[in-house]
Amino acid sequence: MAEARPNDPVDLVAAMAAGDSGPPLNAFYAQYASTVLALLMKMLGSRAEAEEILQDVFVELWRRAPQYDSSRGSVVAWVITVARSRALDALRARTRRHGNDQMQFFSQKHGLGTESGRPDVLVSSTRWHQALRQAFKRLNEDQRAVLELSYFLGMSHGQIAEALNLPVGTVKSRILAGMRALRTMLPIIQRSMVA
Amino acid sequence: MSDETERAELLAALHAAGAASEEDEQELQRLLEADPSLEEVVRDFQDSIAALASSFEPLETSPKTLGQIQKKIAKEKGGLFGRLRSWFSKS
Repeated sequence: MAEARPNDPVDLVAAMAAGDSGPPLNAFYAQYASTVLALLMKMLGSRAEAEEILQDVFVELWRRAPQYDSSRGSVVAWVITVARSRALDALRARTRRHGNDQMQFFSQKHGLGTESGRPDVLVSSTRWHQALRQAFKRLNEDQRAVLELSYFLGMSHGQIAEALNLPVGTVKSRILAGMRALRTMLPIIQRSMVA
Repeated sequence: MSDETERAELLAALHAAGAASEEDEQELQRLLEADPSLEEVVRDFQDSIAALASSFEPLETSPKTLGQIQKKIAKEKGGLFGRLRSWFSKS
């Protein structure tokens, strides 16, 4: 007999997919809302806008729950993908209104530093989170820059090449090298957490 | 590593990093159809970048936010989309 797994993310998504917006949604929100808000704040820089987009993200996750396929990726990857996509929509809308100053905005205020000391930072930030951030900082600076521009600002390799005045091939190579390095680091961090 | 494997890995990395062009995405889709084992490479890259994106210090949300989300969902459930979803989940 299968063991009951209260608050297992896949089970919560399945319950939401069946239309349940009660306790499963509440538990799902409790697991991911603070993480999603942190990502939105990093990408958008505005608490009010991040809180507003946070609502849209969870409504969309509830709406898209029937399409979630666990064989294609983890729940957290799905949640982050939806949140990033909504944040990029908001950034693009902002760019249309105010011009293309996002790169400067991001690099000045939203590099992947620590937020410790902010009053709204939860104590629940774990060793796992800290280790991941350290791992990212250990990436070659060139690789980190192209990944920040692509993932957090939604720039294509062509746009990054233009912005950094680099050949497109160089940008692609740096992205691949950075992604390979991240993929290698993750299992090492996971093992160090168990040890 | 063969040129084809290297190319497939590059496309998977660009896709996961959000840097792929439309042509890259189409080429990746063709390669995925030809070799489903490439999905694992895509998934690994996606999980790696998602882990990074979820690593920021968690922030406390406003106590009102969950209630507002529930209100929006309740409104959707009462609409046409909600009725269709309910019908499909039962069938």
